This record gives sequence, structure tokens and C-alpha cells, in this order.
Amino acid sequence: MTLEIVVMIKQVPDSQEVVIDPVTFTLNRSAARNVINPADENAIEAALRIKDREKDVHITVITMGPPFAESALLDAMARGVDDAILVSDRAFAGADTYPTGLTLAATITKMGKFDIIFAGEESTDSSTGHVGPGVAEFLGIEQASYTSNTWIEDGFVYAERELEDGIETVRMKPPCLITVLTNSNIPRNPTLRMKIDSFRKGIKTWSLADIELKPEWVGLKGSPTVVKSMRTINEKKREGKKFKAGEMDKFVEELVSKGILKL
Amino acid sequence: MVGLVNAEPPENPGEYKNVLIFLETRQGKLAKPGLEMISVGSAIAHKVNEELIGIVMGNKIENLVQEAGEHGCDRVIGLKSKDLEDFRTIPYSVNLSELIAEFKPNILLIPATRNGRDLASRIAVRSKTGVTADCTELDIDPAERILQARRPTYGESTLAEILCKRHRPQMATARPGIFSVPERDPRRKFVSEIRKTTIKKEFLKKEIVGFKPRSTLDLTSAKIIVSGGLGLGKPNGFKLLEELAGEIGASIGASRPTVDMGWIERDHQVGQTGQSVRPDIYIACGISGKAQHIMGMRLSKNIVSINTDAGAELNSISDYIINEDLYKVIPELVQAIKRRKSGENKPAETPA
Repeated sequence: MTLEIVVMIKQVPDSQEVVIDPVTFTLNRSAARNVINPADENAIEAALRIKDREKDVHITVITMGPPFAESALLDAMARGVDDAILVSDRAFAGADTYPTGLTLAATITKMGKFDIIFAGEESTDSSTGHVGPGVAEFLGIEQASYTSNTWIEDGFVYAERELEDGIETVRMKPPCLITVLTNSNIPRNPTLRMKIDSFRKGIKTWSLADIELKPEWVGLKGSPTVVKSMRTINEKKREGKKFKAGEMDKFVEELVSKGILKL
Repeated sequence: MVGLVNAEPPENPGEYKNVLIFLETRQGKLAKPGLEMISVGSAIAHKVNEELIGIVMGNKIENLVQEAGEHGCDRVIGLKSKDLEDFRTIPYSVNLSELIAEFKPNILLIPATRNGRDLASRIAVRSKTGVTADCTELDIDPAERILQARRPTYGESTLAEILCKRHRPQMATARPGIFSVPERDPRRKFVSEIRKTTIKKEFLKKEIVGFKPRSTLDLTSAKIIVSGGLGLGKPNGFKLLEELAGEIGASIGASRPTVDMGWIERDHQVGQTGQSVRPDIYIACGISGKAQHIMGMRLSKNIVSINTDAGAELNSISDYIINEDLYKVIPELVQAIKRRKSGENKPAETPA
């Protein structure tokens, strides 16, 4: 029987290209390209490694996003993912973590059978880490979050969770959801051959009607939280006083005399 | 399992009262991030004349319940079962949800640790409510009893205030290292209750089959931190930092890439996914200053950047910049400190 894997990904502005403006201390992301969220690349790789080792594995990558998120899905297919679904509808705009999880869970339910769902630990643009486990709750399945390694043995899914005080190994029967840590593996590159194949094969696009949720359940309307205000965090003024390697006596004296360093 | 349903606000949110906090345990002890919820949780609860209720789950929890009360919870509920000895998502979320249904708290605070976030995500869905992640400021509007949950966003440049007006409980996770742990006082009065519980087999399908503990280093209370980044160029670059740290009594910090490359243990990691630190002095050695790192150290009182790259982003938030090779700078700095200590380098007295 085919092992069905779903990988949930998100397209984000490339954080390598997002720079902090030294004057206003705000993020300048206008120049940034859109890429697969870094942790989601590791999630795709974790799924592909299972496909490398096990027989009869089928991987579908899904994302909720605007039409241009198609490029993230094609990128995933060019790395070896079999199929891709873009869930896209104006009604999804402005969703917080609850309706985002609901939309993805409804998509997976609509897809039919699934055994393992992978997701990145969190996205670089909102950094909550809530969507993956939220999907597991909507679907009523087990989960292992913050994992650095996953494998299958005797019909069980094993995962290593990296916690603050140690590494926990857990064992679960599928279906289950796994969130994968950023940099926990080295994602493979797309190949030209598979890029061509992915363009030929294309992706599926589903709308709100396809996943059968009510319009008021998703997007901004379905979100329990609202952003009331944003304020710039007042940076302490920092002088950036320069010292040379040959002036370390002077530097130490400065720190000591100002009470910054006590010797 | 809630099924595929929307977030439903209760008919009468006014019924929801008090602040509930989840006191995370690690290896049978109350973990610091959970205790940090007591200071912020009690400030919020007492501002509107409500109670702070602490929840402790585990097997041998009698002392932990006492400890939570002595740190400042008005009420502590202990759930005791051998199946709750270690954190597992489903038994913990099912039991916490039952307590939410019973106590109807207005606010639920959970530390934004890995297990805390794991739990909070599922509780929010089970309770059909909203959750604001990784808050650094939490307050309450006393008139409406609405939680003002503030979290840094866009790489710490902006603080967003997020409200959950109609759904209950109003949930937030709080970033570790931001809020203080109140002093433990054995004279403090509190109400406590320990309930024995049994967990249904169906909730225990995930088994923990191994645990490899690792040393844990608390950087959040360090006064001086010497921190290394990829600019060290090689794993044993940290040896040089240790030499400097030894001279000034500093702890060693690290950027995420050096941890990911295995140059140093993860408990040294400073940043969004590591520890948030605010020492008197933070000496960044070969750290370019990606947003994720800056988020965890920008509140340091003084920042020193040692980096060959004059354009390093970290320089823009530094009090002192030494724009040269750290392998040249640090030995010079160590020697200068030694000279200062031995009095060789006492400058002439200058008028104050």
C-alpha cells in the first residue's frame, strides 16, 4: 500500500535578502525574492529521504497562498515531490493561525488518505510555529514537533525532537504530523530534468469551494485575533565608537571607567 | 478532535474569569520559563481583581505544587498521573482543555518553549480561540478585560499589539527570559489541590522511547557574554573566546549557524530560536548580525562588535566597533585586560 506523505509549505520573502535599515531599524524586504520558507525546505527533504529509503511512497506538497506561490510548489516538484496543490482564494487573505490551519486541514481531508504530514517548524515571516500542530489538532492525529530526524521502522514513525534540555525520541503509528527544524538536513537542489517535468506536469489549484469551508470561517473573517497596532521599537542610540586592535589598553580603560566592565 | 470547524466565540465572554498559566516541567522539576509566567500572570490577574491559577501536570508533583504557590500563584491545581510524567502533546492538551472548560479562564498563558508552543497550538484549536505567539509584553485593558499581547515582528523592528476580543480564553505564549521569576516565599498564602487522574489509552499512542539529556546553560541571567559567529572560521575559534571569557567571567554565546554546523552545543545559541539575552555587555566576535540573531541580543546594555566586515549589520546596533581580524583583536584584548588587572596599565589620575 502506498505511503502517502503531505508536505505543507509556505512561500516567504527570502530572509537572506531582507535587511535591517540601520537608521529606522525596520526590515527592508522590498528587494527580497519569494522563496520556500527555509524550515519547509528541510521538511521537503525529510519527506524525500523517506521516499529514498522506502518502497511505494507518494509525496504531495500543498500551500495556501496567492497565485504566485505556484513557483514554490514547482520548486518542490523539481526536487522530487510527486504532486502539488495550491489552495488559493481571495477569501483566505488575512488569515491568522486558526483559519490557516483549518484551510490546510480541510485541503488534506479533501485529498483523501494520508499517512505522514510534514511541515517546517515555523515560518520566517511570522514565526509562530502554530499552524503545523494546529492542523494535527483539526485532524485529530499525533504529532512530533521540532524534529531533526525522522525514519520508519516496523510500521512505526520515529522522530527525534530537539528540546531545550535534550533530545527526545518518540514512536508513533501513522497518521501523524511532524514539524521539522530549520537546518536539520541539507535540502537537495532541483534538477533541470525534474524542473522540465514539473512544468509539464503542472500543479492543481483549489479554491474555497473545492475544500468546502464556509467563507466566514477562513481568512480575516475567520481569525480570532486582530492586529490592533504596530509601533516601532525605540532603539537605544548606539554610538558605534571605533577602536583599533592596537588600542586595546585604551578600550579596556574606556569600559572600566564607564563601569561597563568590572575587573 | 474538533473536526473542521471555525473558531467559535462563546455567547457570554463575560463569564470567563481569572488567568490560567501552564507551569512547564522538565525532568520532574518546574522549568524557569513556566515560573516566569507567574510574575506577568499575577500582574494581569490582580489588575482586574482576579486570581492567578497555576497548572502543574506530572507524576511526583506535591513539591512542585508547593513551589508554584510559594512563587506567587493564588491557586495551584496539580494533575497527577504516571502517564503525565513526561510532556506528551495529546494527554497534556486533552487534560488542559478539560481544565479550561471547568475554570473558564479569561486568559491562558503558556511559555513559548518548544513543548509550550507544541501545546499552545493544539489548545487554541481545541478551545476554538486565538493565540498570540512569543510575546514580550503582556498587559490587560482593565475596562474590557482584554489581553494586550505584544510581540516583536519584522525582525524585532516593530512591536505588534494583538487582541483576541470575542474568543475565550485569550491565549498567549511568552518568550522565555523576558519576564522575571518572583521570589519564592514560604509564607505566601495560596490554595492548592492535587487531583489524581487516569489517561485513556487512546491518548497514549505516542511513546517516548528515548531521551538524551544535554547540558543546559542559562544565558538569560548572564552579566557578560562573549559570543561567536561564522567569522570565527573554524570550530576551535571558540577556544579563543573561552580565553577572553575566562578573564572577564563571561558566558559563551553563539550564533545559530555555528550551532547548526556543530561547532558548539545548542544551549549556547543566542537569537530568535535560541535564548534572548540582555547582559551588561555583549561582545560579538565575527557575527554579521542576521535579524534572527539581533532579535535575541539587542536589549543588551552595551554591545561590542569585533568583525573584519565594516558593513556587518550588527555594527549598526553596536556601542563599540573593532573593525579588524578577531584573531588579532582578542589576544590583544586579553593582554590588555591582564595588564589592567595587574595594575601595569593604570592611567594617570584624571579629575572627575
